[in-house]
Order: sequence, then C-alpha cells, then structure tokens
Amino acid sequence: MGNEASTERVTLHGVELEVRRVGSGSTLLFLHGFQPVEPEASFLSLLGRRAAVVAPSHPGFGASTRPKDFESVYDLLNLYSAFIETLPGKVTLVGASFGGWLAAELAVRSCARIERLVLVDALGIKVGPRDVPDILDIFNTHPAKVKAATWADPNKAPDLDAMTDAQLVSRHRNWESLSLYGWHPYLHNPRLSYWLDRISVPTLVLWGAQDGIVKPAYGEAYAKRIPGARFAQIAGAGHHPELEQPDHFADHVLGFLA
Amino acid sequence: MDAWWQCEIPYPDVAKNITDAADSVRASLPNSYCDPATAARHFDEVMDEFAYCDEVGMNVVCIEHHAGINSMIGSNPMITGALARQTKKVRVLSLGTLVSLRPDPVRVAEEYATADTMLRGRFDIGFVKSGGTEMASANMQPVNNEERFWEAIDLVQKALTSHDGPVSWEGKHFHHRHINIWPGPYQRPMPPMWAATGDPRSAAEVGRRGFRHVLVLRGPEGTKSAYEAHRNARREAGLPKVTTDNFAYAAMVYVGDTHDEGVEVGSQLLWFLNTSLKSAPQYNKFLPGAAPPQAAPGLYRTKPKVDAGIGFKDAEKGVTTASQNSQKLMALTAKEAMDQGILFAGSPDTVHKQITEFYDKVGGFGHLVLIGRSGHMTHAESMKGIKLFGEEVLPRLREIAPIEVG
Repeated sequence: MGNEASTERVTLHGVELEVRRVGSGSTLLFLHGFQPVEPEASFLSLLGRRAAVVAPSHPGFGASTRPKDFESVYDLLNLYSAFIETLPGKVTLVGASFGGWLAAELAVRSCARIERLVLVDALGIKVGPRDVPDILDIFNTHPAKVKAATWADPNKAPDLDAMTDAQLVSRHRNWESLSLYGWHPYLHNPRLSYWLDRISVPTLVLWGAQDGIVKPAYGEAYAKRIPGARFAQIAGAGHHPELEQPDHFADHVLGFLA
Repeated sequence: MDAWWQCEIPYPDVAKNITDAADSVRASLPNSYCDPATAARHFDEVMDEFAYCDEVGMNVVCIEHHAGINSMIGSNPMITGALARQTKKVRVLSLGTLVSLRPDPVRVAEEYATADTMLRGRFDIGFVKSGGTEMASANMQPVNNEERFWEAIDLVQKALTSHDGPVSWEGKHFHHRHINIWPGPYQRPMPPMWAATGDPRSAAEVGRRGFRHVLVLRGPEGTKSAYEAHRNARREAGLPKVTTDNFAYAAMVYVGDTHDEGVEVGSQLLWFLNTSLKSAPQYNKFLPGAAPPQAAPGLYRTKPKVDAGIGFKDAEKGVTTASQNSQKLMALTAKEAMDQGILFAGSPDTVHKQITEFYDKVGGFGHLVLIGRSGHMTHAESMKGIKLFGEEVLPRLREIAPIEVG
C-alpha cells in the first residue's frame, strides 16, 4: 500500500500503551473491541490511504500494560481523554464493539477534540426490556455459539490452532482484561443512553448486517439517540465488518470523512 | 484427630441421557429437571443424617454450591441455621457461605453471628473461594475473585470483632459506612476460622492468618505441598509454629461391615466426580482468570501441540488450576481414587488404615472432613456408614493427639 506504518510505545499516566500508526492525513483514532488490532489488518492500511490511523491496544490487551487496580471503564475513559489531548488537532474517533462503547462515552464527555464519530457494532447502551439481553453474553455462552454469532462467515474467524503460543497467551490475557472492564454491568453503562444527545459532532453508526452479538436493531436505536446520526449496514459482515468486509468498511468510513 | 461429616445434598435424579447430552450439569441445566417433591425428600433425609451425626458424636459441615445437580445447598445460612436446632452437642462448621459471591460481607457476618449465638459457640466459620460455574450463577467478576475473597473475609472479621458502635469500611470491593451487628458472635473474639484452598499462594495466606487449612480431594502430594506452603509462610513471617490441629483434609469416606461392602457402597460417592463436575468450557477453561494466560496454548488449541499437563503432578507444583483438577477427578476410578487418598472406603479396619497412611504421607492433620453421602447412595446406606465410622473408626482417630509441626 506504501503506507507508513509503525508500532510505538507511549507512556501515559502509568500505562505503557502499544500504539499502531498507519498512513497519513488527518488523525483517525481507532478504539478496538474484544481483541486488539492485528498490525497487518488490511482495514488499517485502507483507512491509512487517507488518514493517519492511530490504534492503541487497551491497557491489558496486546502489549499494553495494565496497572494494578486499573480495571474499570472509568479508568479507560480518563486514559483516552488524556491520550486524545496528545494527538494533533481534532480527531475522527472510530470505536468498534467494546471500543465503540468507549468512543460514545468519550464523545458524551466532550466533543472539543473530536471532529467526527464512527460507532461500529458498538456496545455500551441498554435498549430492550430489562429481562431481554441486548448483547450476547460472550462469557457465559458456549464458544461455538459465540463464534457463530460473531461472524457472517465463520471461516473468517481466526484459526486458534494456527496461532503461536505467544498469540494465544496474549489472547487469554485480553479476555481477562475484557472481563474486568465489562463483566458487570455487562458491557454497557445503564445511564449512557440518557446522555447520548450530548454528542454534537457528525456521527456514523455502522453495523454488520449479520451481527449476532448485537443486532442491527440495536445499532438503529443507538443512531436514533444521537442527534443527526446516520445508520448504515454492511452486508456479509457480523460483529467485525472491519475484518470481514474491509473494503466496504473503509469505503463507508472514508466516504464519511469526505 | 476429630471428624466432621458432610453431604452436599445433590440431586442425582436427572436421567443419564439428559446429563450426557447437556454440556454442563451446573449453571445452565434447566431447573425443570429438579422435581420439588424429590428435592424435599433429599433435604429431609440428609437433615436426619446430620441429626444422627449429633447422636454418634460426629461434628457436621454445611457447604454451599449453586445451581447444579452437585448440590442443592445454594443458601448456606439457611441450612446452618437449621443445623443449629437439629444438633445438640457437636460442632457445626459452615464451609461456607461463598463470601466472594455476596455483595455485602456485613450481612454474612450478621448471619454467622446469629448462627454462633443460636449454637452457643458450637460454631466454626469456613471460607471457600468459589469459582467456575458459580461466577455465572452469582453474576460475579471472576478475575479478581480471590482478591474479593480476602477483602470479604477481612470485612467479616471486622464486623464480628467490633463492639463499640458503628465502624466503617471503604475498601476496593466493599463499602459500608455503618457496621454495628446485633448480636455479635457468641465466641469472642470470634469463632474458629477455616479456609479451603489448594494453591500455594492462597495456602500461604491461610497460614499467615492462622486459619485451619482444609484441603479438599487434593491427593497426598497436593495436600502435603499446600500444608508446607502454609507452614513456610508462617516461618517467613516470624509467626509461631502450629500443630496438626491447624490442618484438615476432606475426602470421600464410607465404612461398611466388610472391606468389599465399604468399597462397593463407597464407590457411589464417585458420582460427585464423574457426573456432577461436568461443566461447559465457558465455565471452566475459558473462564477469565481461571487459568493463567500462560496456560492458553493448551486451552485453545483443538489439536494441542503440547499437552497442557492436566494431572496431579502439576497440582503438586501448584500450577494446575481448580478446573484442571476437576477434569482429572472426573475420570477417576474407585481404585485410583483410593490410591490417591480421594476415597477412603472399606471396613472399619481398612478405612482406619487408609486414613492413618494418608496422615503419614502428608505430614499429619488434626481434622478429617467426610464427604459421606453423594450420588445414588441411599439414606439407609448413608446412616449405616455414619454409624460404623462414628462407632468403629472415630474413637481410634481421636487417639491421635495434635503434634507440633513446622
């Protein structure tokens, strides 16, 4: 692709963050979901054609450290508020899945450093009745069912048998960290929905049409609560349109930037 | 040596084709398979067995487990409270309310102080870490479960030992501004404390706290090394030596008239291992925090490059997780269970011999906890086992006096 790409270590408030940087242009901060971004993921280089993509691994994910007792979304939001201030100018904030929850929370707090917001199959709000879960319980559901719900084409799921020991160790650590941040209340903030109309920047809510972790109707409800937000679905994608349909994903995001 | 009898009050009546087809017999098996009348009959029988232990002079233990066929004692304080009136002379050990699953340890302290008062001090408090399917059943964060466990114990002790008006607690996991329980405990400063744990890190903490340390179905090597971790931690902290009274071991125990009868009936206890431990991968190997990240290659690969090493060898080194320990236990035969000190079964003489041999292997312990009834063992069989153990084995075990170890 010819994009400049590097992985850096950034120390911020006692956390050593692993940060992948790809491409050039205006800054696009990508906050990942259940797993950190693979450095060679094609969606990064596709976005990097038009933007300077900055993709940190959350504390406790990938090679990022997680200080003792740093185990709440409150901690993550304070960290990313500080991180955004280190980036040049205003950013396009893209949050996927769990990272989408963080992105929505950050935008509710302040849009001063945010130019645009993209939520991709984002978690974080409560939509349905109290006895109907909005988000599939990925911790308490059989892994085979979680896999089927995650991918439009389960063959796109990562092959765990092909991974190195180090990759699997990292994956399990990510899983632990995710459970600390998101076990209870389960991957959402019961009060976030009330505050979504604070978001004052152009917002695109993108959804994998076959997402079984959080259904497209949840995404539509999310978009309705954000003033002026657009909702779009990506066919042939489950919970990870950025991985299953990277070209369509990049077209949507870059089109939104234009 | 003293002895303590317990039954987890299982529900063994779900048809085998159902339990075979289910990926888990805990947490997710629908309770439509639990017939209320059958459940009530089990409670009746086992409460009678507890009362019979009181007659033969054997202490009793009330455990707690949640949402599965292995045990219907989801509410430890309910049964402990009933035992307070069902027994007249023996000690009652709650082993225990699963404190890391309860949102407010102060309430747990209230329950325990009430039990201690009703029992006029015939009460011991035990703590169990919980884990596995119970993280789902109780909706509790699994990764920091152990940290929550110790903070909960600290807070229970604070509530039990504060007598001069309200005190406050602002910890990491628990917050309570106005702690002033009525009644306080009958025993002052507080009832004897036990903890059940096998890994070296928490075994060391049990040692530093001076709790009675109970190892459950851990076999000779795992038990010995946990006791050693307990004693080493005390030595390193400059704490006084302890006696075998600080150590306990829990095994399946059944005594028949003859060795063959004891083994045959006692083998039914293995139901607990080979049927009631079955749980789905999301509740054990993939449960966050259940295994250290370094174990991941063995957990995730469907075609393992290297065996993750599920075995007692690893338990001895302290790197086998509780869930891996259960997987090993599930496949155990009666002979293996007896060789491993998981099951003591036979005649009064052969059971006594098995216990004293195990005692020697692990460096001594002052308390034997009997997992006395499980699976399809009948009420009559259970009563007979209690009688024979209480009359023929226990008096001989009582001759083993505590000795200093350290």
